[in-house]
Amino acid sequence: MTETFINWGMTADWAWFVATICGILLIALPLMLGVAMIIYADRKIWAAMALRRGPNVVGPFGLLQSFADGLKVFLQETIIPSAANKGLFLIAPIITFTVALMAWAVIPFNSGAVLADINVGLLYILAISSLGVYGVVIAGWASNSKYPFFSAMRAAAQMISYEVSIGFIIICVVLWAGTFNMNGIVIAQKGHVFGFLNGFGFNPLLFPMWVLFLISGMAETARAPFDLTEAESELVAGYQTEYSSMSFALYWLGEYANVLLMCTLNAVLFFGGWLPPVDWAPLYWVNGFVWLLLKILFFFFIFSWVKATVPRYRYDQLMRLGWKVFLPFSLLWVFLVSGYLMATGHFA
Amino acid sequence: MTVAQFIKAFTLWEFLKAHALTLKYFFKPKATINYPYEKNPLSPRFRGEHALRRYPNGEERCIACKLCEAVCPAQAITIEAEPRDDGSRRTTRYDIDMTKCIFCGFCQEACPVDAIVEGPNFEYATETREELLYDKAKLLANGDKWERAIAANLEADAPYR
Amino acid sequence: MPTVKVDGQEIEVPAGATVLQACELAGKEIPRFCYHERLSIAGNCRMCLVEVKPGPPKPQASCALPATDGQEIRTDSEMVKKAREGVMEFLLINHPLDCPICDQGGECDLQDQSVAYGRGGSRYDENKRAVTEKYMGPLIKTTMTRCIHCTRCVRFSEEIAGVDEIGALYRGENMQITTYLEHAVKHELSANVIDLCPVGALTSRPYAFEARPWELKKTLGIDVMDALGANIRIDSRGREVMRALPRLNDDVNEEWLADKSRYAVDGLTRRRLDKVWIRQTSGENRGKLEAATWDDAFKKIKAAKPGKDIAAVYGDLLDCETMFAAKALLGAMGSTLIEGRQSGMTYDTSNLAAVNFNTTLAGIENADAVLIVGSQIRHEAPLLNVRLRKAVKRGAKVFVVGPEWETTYPATFLGNDLGVLNSLSSDVTDAMSKAERPAIILGGAALGRGALGKALALAGEWNVVREGWNGFNSLHFSASRMGGLMLGLAQAGGMADLIAAKPKVLLALGSDEVDFTKFPDTLKVFIGHHGDKGAHAADVILPAAAYTEKSGTYVNIEGRVQRSEKAVFAPGDAREDWTILRALADALGVTVGFDTFEQLRAAMFADTPALANEGLADFGMALPAGGGDASGEIAAYPVADYYLTNAICRASPTMQRCSAELLHGQDFAEAAE
Repeated sequence: MTETFINWGMTADWAWFVATICGILLIALPLMLGVAMIIYADRKIWAAMALRRGPNVVGPFGLLQSFADGLKVFLQETIIPSAANKGLFLIAPIITFTVALMAWAVIPFNSGAVLADINVGLLYILAISSLGVYGVVIAGWASNSKYPFFSAMRAAAQMISYEVSIGFIIICVVLWAGTFNMNGIVIAQKGHVFGFLNGFGFNPLLFPMWVLFLISGMAETARAPFDLTEAESELVAGYQTEYSSMSFALYWLGEYANVLLMCTLNAVLFFGGWLPPVDWAPLYWVNGFVWLLLKILFFFFIFSWVKATVPRYRYDQLMRLGWKVFLPFSLLWVFLVSGYLMATGHFA
Repeated sequence: MTVAQFIKAFTLWEFLKAHALTLKYFFKPKATINYPYEKNPLSPRFRGEHALRRYPNGEERCIACKLCEAVCPAQAITIEAEPRDDGSRRTTRYDIDMTKCIFCGFCQEACPVDAIVEGPNFEYATETREELLYDKAKLLANGDKWERAIAANLEADAPYR
Repeated sequence: MPTVKVDGQEIEVPAGATVLQACELAGKEIPRFCYHERLSIAGNCRMCLVEVKPGPPKPQASCALPATDGQEIRTDSEMVKKAREGVMEFLLINHPLDCPICDQGGECDLQDQSVAYGRGGSRYDENKRAVTEKYMGPLIKTTMTRCIHCTRCVRFSEEIAGVDEIGALYRGENMQITTYLEHAVKHELSANVIDLCPVGALTSRPYAFEARPWELKKTLGIDVMDALGANIRIDSRGREVMRALPRLNDDVNEEWLADKSRYAVDGLTRRRLDKVWIRQTSGENRGKLEAATWDDAFKKIKAAKPGKDIAAVYGDLLDCETMFAAKALLGAMGSTLIEGRQSGMTYDTSNLAAVNFNTTLAGIENADAVLIVGSQIRHEAPLLNVRLRKAVKRGAKVFVVGPEWETTYPATFLGNDLGVLNSLSSDVTDAMSKAERPAIILGGAALGRGALGKALALAGEWNVVREGWNGFNSLHFSASRMGGLMLGLAQAGGMADLIAAKPKVLLALGSDEVDFTKFPDTLKVFIGHHGDKGAHAADVILPAAAYTEKSGTYVNIEGRVQRSEKAVFAPGDAREDWTILRALADALGVTVGFDTFEQLRAAMFADTPALANEGLADFGMALPAGGGDASGEIAAYPVADYYLTNAICRASPTMQRCSAELLHGQDFAEAAE
């Protein structure tokens, strides 16, 4: 895109700057739209599994429900509790929301279609997604309220626990791909299994890692059954208890943007990203972006499906699963994968 | 832990079974109705929004006996009465605080002249709290509005009273 | 003393007791409608049926059956139960069952007893009897269809009130209770038939449809409309007194209450002083009252620099606590100028026995010769008239000095001139001196004309104070009088002393009858509850509480100390009187020695120990000798208009209508509904 702007007569610096801005908008705006629709989809899927109808009044099939909700929230008054730390209270949702968008910079949407094609993309994502918890912790503290504070404590512990195992899972992928560059990881999956299945997930050795990644992803984004941070039966609405209006909406958007990111990572790291599932020429006639989108939607359906099916974990169960099951298991698997790769001379 | 249990646990077998079940229900017909467009039938005994009824000649039924006020467990009803110009016993004030009301139906049970009734209307949400403090005019207006439905309900339920 | 067996329980009953009384002594409840302890026995409702052996094999009306030795009475047998059910069913045949619109609902004997003793159903299918309404005046509302012909109201009028105003027309099913020509019932106790009526046939007209008994807060109070201190129950809802009903007290009011006491309560919500007012002394509103704050008022009073030039006049309706607070305030300022005899009476108060109703209200029933000097007893103390009527029925002779009034018993009027006391005719002196229990009742008209000395002399002459009997009585008609006198709040020269002292500040404590023009250069501070004559003349008005709005001690004419409880809060800015006086003490920079009501009472008891004990105060039997001649013509009695004697009555629309219709003959008669 930079070349286009240079051709229009800009200096190289300006062209890069404008192109980056355009790129950000090209990602962020559809992402927001996508989040709105994904919220609608989430509610619909959940409702269907509970034999309900879900939103069906606003727009055809209730498609505009999220926009109606957004408008309503936008028009509401922002209530700041008198005892709250005002500055932090307001900045916390902005942190969550911004961080949720930042990770998308390194996601390859198609061959070469990535905003920042850096060679440590995966590390960048790990770093950014760890920052996300700050929004929650700050919100809990700044609210100066009992339940948000509990929620923030839970969130901090939960993120740390599952980031550890996610790190080990990613090591397995990186070992096999041989790169941290996201695009490189996608390309590394081309014809990975039997020479025609595009995706580490089809590899029997990496399949358990995908399952672990999926579950850890749910825990990392505080989705059901790991939504202890906003367990309404215990903590009212968790860290969001004192929030209203747009500050509340920013959490909502950020949360779903994070969920979409996890779905995307599932697709990119284990199921070939923008590659078609099978390495078969006619499938390449379909645009890579469409393949990625389909995969994201599929994983989001799984997320919703799990939410509709599994009851919430208890806090001790969550911790046990993270530290006593996922951590040893993924550690063992790093050992197995690297051993296998050493034995097969992958690094030679 | 037996081997079978171990395998079950590590293959997430029970989770998979559960997800199969929810997926099955995903495709089943919905149990809920399409509410604002479809509505469930209501029992004649349904206890909804209150109304003060009138006789067919337009005379209000309420005679200010205050039995509803006395029986109301939530003390939501306030009545003041005095003789009307023609000497009959009438209320000068009949207020129901709908935010206090628990919709037990004791008021309509207590009423000797079927004046206060809980009608079939349940869609009377308001934007302000004050709108839920019903006065006599509002209740009489409700009665005029819902009279046909209320009369039909009372008739339907009459054999069981 | 016959011994009877009630439901197997053997008891001894007084001679002459009825079977019903025997059952009550045995603790058995006998339902009844027509029977009433204070009325003659009629025996026409048949509700009190019991089974009596020996006797005919049928239930018998227990109220009219004398208890005799060896009777076996059953109140719990199947026969009695069936009989009660039958009577109840008959009574309800013609009763309209319009309980929801009936004011008696919730306190109705018929309701209660049909629940307790009825069948719960009727076999009567025919049309019910209907009776046209009867006009009975502004106080009694009639719904004669509801009447069950117990005739309690008829018997009350004849026997207790002594006027044949209510009676029955026609016979059997056609019987109707009426005032014959449908004129208003005029006597002062008329509203008692409302309490007597066991159903809703006679109900209270001013209270019509106002409230239900279960909504009302019941407070025990003392009436202040006259000086008898009738025991009342104040029924209030929210901040409004809805009605006043008599309480049972055989020593004072039995179970009756005068109409004024009962119906003046609607004056408590009208013409009330609920703000502080100050009369402007400059500016364009000069001479007009303007609303002000308490601080402004206190500043104004302080600016008058009263020092010890302060005086107080107390009104007729005050409680002892208020009077004592005023006494304490004036005492702290160095003044003793308090007076309550607003009309300027100056009788000697050094011996309270001379100005007390020594015979007591219950005792006067036993008098066998009564000389009434200058009192229209029906208007000054209606309940005393009931007692006198009882005395006359027992054979007492009554002589009256003063203008003629309609007595409810035979009485001899001796003329208007008090001088007649100096040369009484022989039949009077014979009757009085030969009587076993002679009594003299000295009314306000006589006290005001200096007849006390002569009356005391006559008392000595006839020896009315003897073993077990004190027949000398002064009759006041101001509820605060005896309390004020006990507290020592009287000047030898009466009001004239206050006028002569030319005080800088005059505290008018609810006193509406004072001639304030005699205090031209005085700052007149009115502390009261109604905007009446007193407030009209005042320079500063401090709103205070009426008798239902404060706890207080009252002393009635016989020296009976009684306490009243607070029923409702005073309206607006009005405060209880003693708190105003206490705050005024602060404003004037003196201490009165009490900060709470309890401290005030303790101080009052220390000052006047007799007020500490409820019941009759002891003034001793020794009367001063008296002497001198009585003179003066009693042109009219002090109570010109019975229904409009004080500020509360004058504010009451019911009392105004009573006055217009019953005393001045204005025609309000309504067409029968």
